Amino acid sequence: MRWIIIVLSLMVFPVTGFAQSGDEVIKKSQDAFFYPGKDFKARVMMKLIGKGGQERIRELTMLRKNYGEAGGEQKIFMYFFQPTDVKDMTFMVYKYPARDDDRWLFVPAINMVRRIAAQDKSSSFAGSDFTYEDVSGRDIQDDAHAVTKEEAFNNRDCYVIKSTPKAGDMNYDYKLSWIDKGNYLPLKEEYYNKKGELDRLYTSDEIKEVKGFPTITKRTMKNHQSGHTTEVKYLSVDYNIDIDDSLFSERYLRQPLKKWTE
Amino acid sequence: MRKFSLVEFSVDYPKAVVAILMVITMLFMTQFTKIKTDTNPKNMLPAASDVRVWNDEVEKTFNLYEDTLVVGVVNEKGILNSDTLGKIQRITGEILRLKGVAATDVSSFTTIDNIEVENDALRVSTLMTALPKNDIEIEHLRKMLFENPLFVNRIISKDGKTAAIYIPLQKGANGKEIADAIRQIVKKEGGGEKYYIAGDPVARDTFGVDMFKLMGILAPIAGMVMFLVRYLMFRDMFLSMALMMDAMISIVWSMGLLIGLGFPIHIMSSMAPVFLMAIATDSMHIFNEFYFRYKETGNKRLAIIETMAAVSKPVRSTALATAAGFAVLLFMNIVPVQVFGGLVAFGTIILRVLSFTFVPAMFALVKEEKLKKISQTEEADLGKTSQFLKKLAGVGMRRPAETVIVGLIFFVAAIVGVTKITVNNNLVEWFKKGSEVRAADTVINQALGGTATGYIVATAKEDDYIKTPAAMRYIEGLQRRLETLPVVGKTMSVVDYVKRINRVLHNDDTSYDVVPERKDIIGQYLFLFSMSAKPSDLDNVVDYPFRRANLWVQLKTWDAGAMRDVIKAVEEYKKANPSPMEIKPSGIAYFNMVWNDEVVGDMVKGFVIALVVVFIILAYNFHSIKWAVVGYTPLLFTILLIYGVVGFVGKDFDMPISVLSCLSLGMAVDFAIHFVSRFRQRFKESGDLNETLLWTAARPGKGIVRNAILFASAFSVMLFAPLTPYISVGAFIVTMMMLSSLLTILYLPALIVLTKDWLLKGGNGESEQSV
Repeated sequence: MRWIIIVLSLMVFPVTGFAQSGDEVIKKSQDAFFYPGKDFKARVMMKLIGKGGQERIRELTMLRKNYGEAGGEQKIFMYFFQPTDVKDMTFMVYKYPARDDDRWLFVPAINMVRRIAAQDKSSSFAGSDFTYEDVSGRDIQDDAHAVTKEEAFNNRDCYVIKSTPKAGDMNYDYKLSWIDKGNYLPLKEEYYNKKGELDRLYTSDEIKEVKGFPTITKRTMKNHQSGHTTEVKYLSVDYNIDIDDSLFSERYLRQPLKKWTE
Repeated sequence: MRKFSLVEFSVDYPKAVVAILMVITMLFMTQFTKIKTDTNPKNMLPAASDVRVWNDEVEKTFNLYEDTLVVGVVNEKGILNSDTLGKIQRITGEILRLKGVAATDVSSFTTIDNIEVENDALRVSTLMTALPKNDIEIEHLRKMLFENPLFVNRIISKDGKTAAIYIPLQKGANGKEIADAIRQIVKKEGGGEKYYIAGDPVARDTFGVDMFKLMGILAPIAGMVMFLVRYLMFRDMFLSMALMMDAMISIVWSMGLLIGLGFPIHIMSSMAPVFLMAIATDSMHIFNEFYFRYKETGNKRLAIIETMAAVSKPVRSTALATAAGFAVLLFMNIVPVQVFGGLVAFGTIILRVLSFTFVPAMFALVKEEKLKKISQTEEADLGKTSQFLKKLAGVGMRRPAETVIVGLIFFVAAIVGVTKITVNNNLVEWFKKGSEVRAADTVINQALGGTATGYIVATAKEDDYIKTPAAMRYIEGLQRRLETLPVVGKTMSVVDYVKRINRVLHNDDTSYDVVPERKDIIGQYLFLFSMSAKPSDLDNVVDYPFRRANLWVQLKTWDAGAMRDVIKAVEEYKKANPSPMEIKPSGIAYFNMVWNDEVVGDMVKGFVIALVVVFIILAYNFHSIKWAVVGYTPLLFTILLIYGVVGFVGKDFDMPISVLSCLSLGMAVDFAIHFVSRFRQRFKESGDLNETLLWTAARPGKGIVRNAILFASAFSVMLFAPLTPYISVGAFIVTMMMLSSLLTILYLPALIVLTKDWLLKGGNGESEQSV
């Protein structure tokens, strides 16, 4: 009987000589990266660095709540402190698996809430080198994921996953991710453009455990084509703080409670 | 006397001398493999020059690219149909894959950011995310395009028949290679559309390739032409070969040295071989004299040494004058001109060293019977050329006053012409009319905003000032002012984005197509825009602390005057509208204007220095200021006449021509030196003015005319070049040589006859000859 199972499983998983498929690794990685805890809060400091070393600062509080299991629906709320002239600006995302997100923005200077069409997930997030997808996660089924090798990176055993977008209109050709075999966090990601050149390079620079959740508290995205870099630091991180559902509403978008934003 | 020992050594050990020279030549030849070209106009000025430092700073501040190509897609039936749009989509997609293209910042229908309201939601995405499937979608695209001032005249023409793709290039990318790759891409598409590729990098790098080819083709052809003309002139293979080798040695040495020192070849130095070949013809005087002497004495060794003794002084002086003329270029501000000056000055000195080594050695090597045969044909009194020259000199001698008056009339006319000269360097116009580069530039400049870019940078005294309504309105006003200029096709600034967002946030209400009234609104709009748009959109128009704004000005011509018009308009606007912001021009168009002005300054400076230096050389050589003045006249007259014609014809006075103004002095002065020295030598012996003048016109005069013809024949090859600077240089030199040789033979006798009392009898004239 046993040999039949072996033969069958070889037929079902003919090429993967690895213990897990690329899809499985990426699923676990996204769960660890974007969905830990019931909810999450962080004070985020983002430094945008130009080719010539010029800097722009973005400072915000980010709140996130999971609805359903990991990989399911999520609501995200952002409150901006810096730059100073956008203080009180807020941004909200309802994230749905496998369909376009809903996004709203509050512009305090003209007291207006605007829905923002979420057409292009690969566009820059807040002028940084991260895209919206980088911040909120890309749908797993949009790419073909394959484990290309296993190797150590920064003394951690990693899976190296090659993710190739199924639709051809992405602004990159494929991505290589080094995913920690222990906590499934991505330690490094390389995006290659259609010319086969390194386009963007992501690195996790500091990982800390918060309430038992391994959390990336420092990360960098460097655009090798433009020479532009974005550094992100999480100044304070917390999980499972019981964020009210009511926070994710137009009312609080206009006037969020201090206890959530500070 | 040192020179004479060198000559004697060469005559006594000709084989050794030739062998040593050949070995050195081989050594210089080994450097040729390292050759590289440089046609970047930027390098006309040193990297530390103010304009380059400032331009680099602006590029860095606004994340700008130095080089951008423009692809124009023209469909006479209109761009907005799914077929043409599909082509634009595919072409853009393939361009993004090209190496050297800064893919993240290509502006095309499928890559440029667009802000619109759609079902009450704000949408920032690329203009054409997907190909329009039906008429409704095409109409929507049309609305998006024509309602947005950021698009009209930039990526689509007003009449909707031309679309553009802007392709910034990474540092070091070759514009011609990328343009060629794009030509391959568009070729695959077919259909009724026409494609044009323009922009500074295409012109520059195409020029570089053509230049390289021209150097490889023109120099050998010029060499062959000179060889042939020389052979026809003397019927003497030996002389032709010797002079050719003479020129080749000096070319190999100087080019080898240049390349070996790591200098790239640029437009001026690419012409150096032809110059050296022409300058080498000065050795003709040695041959000329040698044949006369050999015929008289019949003794080869004696003839060589006597010849060298007789011509050494004028030959050395002319070499000095020529070298000085080129060395003057070392004082200029334009880098390639400096390099060229040094290069040719070095080559000229080498040529003269060869005159006293290689040439006598070759004489020593040639068989006597051959020489006898050749020298038979040399007869000063009977030769047709000599007869003509005697007649020409006779005109000047018999009617000196009339000759001079006719000259004066031309002189005045030439001055009028000179005042009409316009200085302009237009890289695109360095290509011939009808060439692909020039045609593409014309089409795109007519349909769209323009291929030449200038920037106007506003710098405030404090951070965030650019976000104030005052700053915004100021920039907006400046844009409207600049757009009234005929040379300006399009302007673009951060204000355009702010107004667009204001309008779109208010449901596309056109009454909101204005600068908002509060700073915080502007700040939040800009932040909102940066939330979704490509970072480069904002980076290109404002700096990080919002202290500086960059106003893009697209110009319809590469003429240097265009940017001057813009700067003038900016100055006027500044005067009428005081602002705490400092406004400064930048960009490639500004750079072109600056170096263009440097060319003028350099030209004037170089010309004055050359005038002084050549005068000193003449005075030193003649040991007489008076003779220097007389020798100078035909020379100055020639140059003035040519510039007069340049002015009347309306030809752009560009860098190559301005460089020639200095060189021509150094080159044409040869004729005066030969004529005057030989005249005075002879006059001292005979004392008969008329006879001496006629003899000088016939004998050294023949050498002068032969020299001029050879010189001209070498440069006439340039007239057939496909690039206009080569043509203008060729035409200039051919004219100058013919004119100055004839004017020397016509005017020097006239002037000598007219001023003989002053020149010959007044103390200085003759007493000095014993010096």
